[in-house]
Amino acid sequence: MTTTQENRWIGVSAPRREDAPLIRGRGRYIADIEPAGTVHMAILRSPYAHARINGIDTAAAEAMDGVHCVLTAADLEGIGDFPTIWRLPGQKECTTPAFAPGKARYVGEPVAAVVADSRYLAEDALDLLDVDYEILDHVVDVEAALADGAPVINEDMGDNTIIEYTFPGINALGVAGDVDGAFEEADEIISGRFKVGRYSGVALETRGHVAEWDDLRQTLTLHSGSQVASLLRTELAAALGIPETSVRILTPNIGGAFGNQWDRYPEDILVSLASMKLCRPVKWIEDRREALQATVHGREQLQEWQLAANSDGTVLGLKGRVLSDQGAHLHSVGIGPAWVTGAAAVNQYKIANYHCDVVGVATNKTPNSTFRGFGGPEAMFGIERMMDKTARRLGIDPAELRRRNMIQADEFPYFSPGGAVYDSGNYPAALEKALEAVEYDKVREEQQSLRDQGVYRGIGISSYIHVSGFGPSAILGILDYYTGGYEGSTVKIDPHGRATLYTGMIPMGQGTETTLAQVAADHLEIDIANVRVVWGDTDQTPYTGFGSAGSRSNVAAVAVIKAIEEIKAKAVRIGAGLLEADPDDVAYADGRISVKGAEEMRSLSLADVAQQAYWAHKLPEGDQPTLEATYVYDPANFTTACGTHVAVVDVDIDTGKIEWVKYVVVDDAGTIINPLLVEGQIHGALSNGLGGAMLEEFVYDEETGQLLSSTLMDYLVPSFTDLPDFEIHHLVTPSPHTEGGFKGMGEAGCFPAAGALANAVTDALSHLGVEADQTPVTPSRLWSLIDQAGG
Amino acid sequence: MAENMSVVINVNGAGRAVSVEPRKTLADAIREDLGLTGTHLGCEHGVCGACTILLDGEVVRSCLMLAVQADGAEITTIEGIADGDDLHPMQSAFSEYHGLQCGFCTPGMILAGIDVVSRNPDPSPQEIREEMGGNICRCTGYQKIVESVQAAAAVMSAEGGSA
Repeated sequence: MTTTQENRWIGVSAPRREDAPLIRGRGRYIADIEPAGTVHMAILRSPYAHARINGIDTAAAEAMDGVHCVLTAADLEGIGDFPTIWRLPGQKECTTPAFAPGKARYVGEPVAAVVADSRYLAEDALDLLDVDYEILDHVVDVEAALADGAPVINEDMGDNTIIEYTFPGINALGVAGDVDGAFEEADEIISGRFKVGRYSGVALETRGHVAEWDDLRQTLTLHSGSQVASLLRTELAAALGIPETSVRILTPNIGGAFGNQWDRYPEDILVSLASMKLCRPVKWIEDRREALQATVHGREQLQEWQLAANSDGTVLGLKGRVLSDQGAHLHSVGIGPAWVTGAAAVNQYKIANYHCDVVGVATNKTPNSTFRGFGGPEAMFGIERMMDKTARRLGIDPAELRRRNMIQADEFPYFSPGGAVYDSGNYPAALEKALEAVEYDKVREEQQSLRDQGVYRGIGISSYIHVSGFGPSAILGILDYYTGGYEGSTVKIDPHGRATLYTGMIPMGQGTETTLAQVAADHLEIDIANVRVVWGDTDQTPYTGFGSAGSRSNVAAVAVIKAIEEIKAKAVRIGAGLLEADPDDVAYADGRISVKGAEEMRSLSLADVAQQAYWAHKLPEGDQPTLEATYVYDPANFTTACGTHVAVVDVDIDTGKIEWVKYVVVDDAGTIINPLLVEGQIHGALSNGLGGAMLEEFVYDEETGQLLSSTLMDYLVPSFTDLPDFEIHHLVTPSPHTEGGFKGMGEAGCFPAAGALANAVTDALSHLGVEADQTPVTPSRLWSLIDQAGG
Repeated sequence: MAENMSVVINVNGAGRAVSVEPRKTLADAIREDLGLTGTHLGCEHGVCGACTILLDGEVVRSCLMLAVQADGAEITTIEGIADGDDLHPMQSAFSEYHGLQCGFCTPGMILAGIDVVSRNPDPSPQEIREEMGGNICRCTGYQKIVESVQAAAAVMSAEGGSA
């Protein structure tokens, strides 16, 4: 074992232990798993947006050589749906079925499945299925779906309104604002209407599973890319009607998840059911068109905001209505993202008077559910556009307007009228740092002279909060969110003094295995090489209430720290006995157990003590043999990551093309575990955010209800040449209520991206009065706006 | 169904014979028949670049070729670029500069990076961005991939162009 200085691992850019196989092509993703005897499933999906299924003739497919079985809704007897686990008051009941329930409600909804010797054959057999569809009227626009006479997508709901939820503007202390009074009193009322485009994670690896049913042991092993294996196990067992103890979920490498893999999907049931029916391994790998049609979409909202301000720039009140286009039915998290939009919309500003109505609306589109950011980026887009509109109306610089309204560093905890309690931060400092980094005053000056030369440069500021580290389970209970918010960790010290850490977290690219090893090594004060991290097996790892997410390491890390505290206390007790000292006189430091003041003389290594713990020949009274501990940590509060981004762009008014000049990030995620990986997370989340701000969009054809962007030629993910180099600066305001001071950070980068980009574009075109209020701000969309404005 | 055809491919320096359906893609044959699962499938329509390999020295998308078209060709996959335990400089640089997160695009990125440097030993960041525009990454935002390729290029030049 090495010395103290060498064994402080938090704050170090430790190399990723994940990399070694991945750079050699020896990663093991779902598609790489193929047990002996595996057969392959392909899924027939509805080609129509809305169609009754009057019958399916499966005879020809079943008769085909190499086909093992065909599944349709008729095979679902005794099989349950997946529940919507966020069930807000007044929300109509809605579940996710394995097959379209009598009628298909979106293009891509599963209708039947074929299992055959190979994927090629299974797809051949899909062509032999004869489905009798009765095409129904469809609706793919959220306002049209609310209009009288709109086709009703879920008849049992009566209409397409799934829920109307109101944020009354009462904070966690019970203090209510007076939004009407604020609007009466205000000098100016500024309005905005924003369309946040529909896009999603679009991970490079598509979804997939390999299911292995053992009919003799009556057990199901599911190899799955789910990022929340514990919940999948619970819900899958319930849907299949088998004991949860019979289900084991194994998670291999995941080729990107971005929240989309948090949800439970029809195929989870179908592949399992097929394996149970055939008593052999069944594999299903989604193809790209399926991935774009049938993996959950995200974001799409129509927002209307009104902001009340005094002429000195003081924002008095904010009220709004958010229509969330949920697609055909609620998926795992219901209207959760839109709820978060309502909760977060006041952002970093002291807006005491607030009201927001959030309406979940059904349309004939793919379900809109979990995606990196989860309602936060939508909220930030709306409020940050409103701040810029207000600044322009009042003739105040947009940076100054923000400065005048920000919550100050000494005002935490801050009780937001959206309901959240912000734990910490220094918003003005982040803003000033970002302005300094971008050389704000200089860029503003240059902007003028450049405009005279026909160069249209714009500066866009967007500040953000990211309420992360979901969450205290009791709060989830109050929110009718039917899962816990905790993370468990088991740490076992082996007889040689090395540690194995078992976590329910699942690495999906963000480096969780490395960062948790850093936390464990740091707190045990041992070499990181002596820490192994075990993940991805529900038979071994602790139950996790909330599952893995880019912003969960902060919660999981505390569980590790707490488990290690128990281990260290036990090691001290055992060591004290061996050293014949009073436990109060013995301390754990440098990975050793020593008598205080006599560290050179009377000291034992962790291995010495661990060996004794396993021999268990003379343990302190009350202590059990071995040296291990499990801690399930339920956070006391959310953590609030925050910061400011500034985008500088040039707009080509002849083409609508946006050219990057600069992009500056100042983020505050509390204590940083691994700076290099944090940078990687910010870059990645920003690319998700800017993708949806500039390019990515699921476009539906109004006339046919077809998804038009169902290849990567049509759905444009950002390429190398679409994104700028990001300049990143950090502030560190440790969370006051979490051990270690960590905050969630894996998602934060996508929060302010669209607001910064849209504000920059609007600023660049201020002479034309063009307002970028709809994302993505594609060149064609922007060109049309410029054209309409006479530019 | 058409009868299988016999195809001989030199894969990472060794001759291999496989029997495949004429319609089978090269990518599927590499993964299923040759057992080299480091070549990944992200889109199967030639956009994402995850299935990038080198074929007779040229960078190609193995999802857009049929296996039978590769009869007699020499291909290099991600499994074939290290020299035993010694990583290719491009592999080392991706790890050192955090040029990968989930790792799914990485084999294709590394091969594309090797191809870029083989044609341009000292590429600028902008040249790397333009040359590698055919490979998609959803995790990194590309900046650290650009840094990785630049760093690898420096090492490869110092080693005398090992690509």
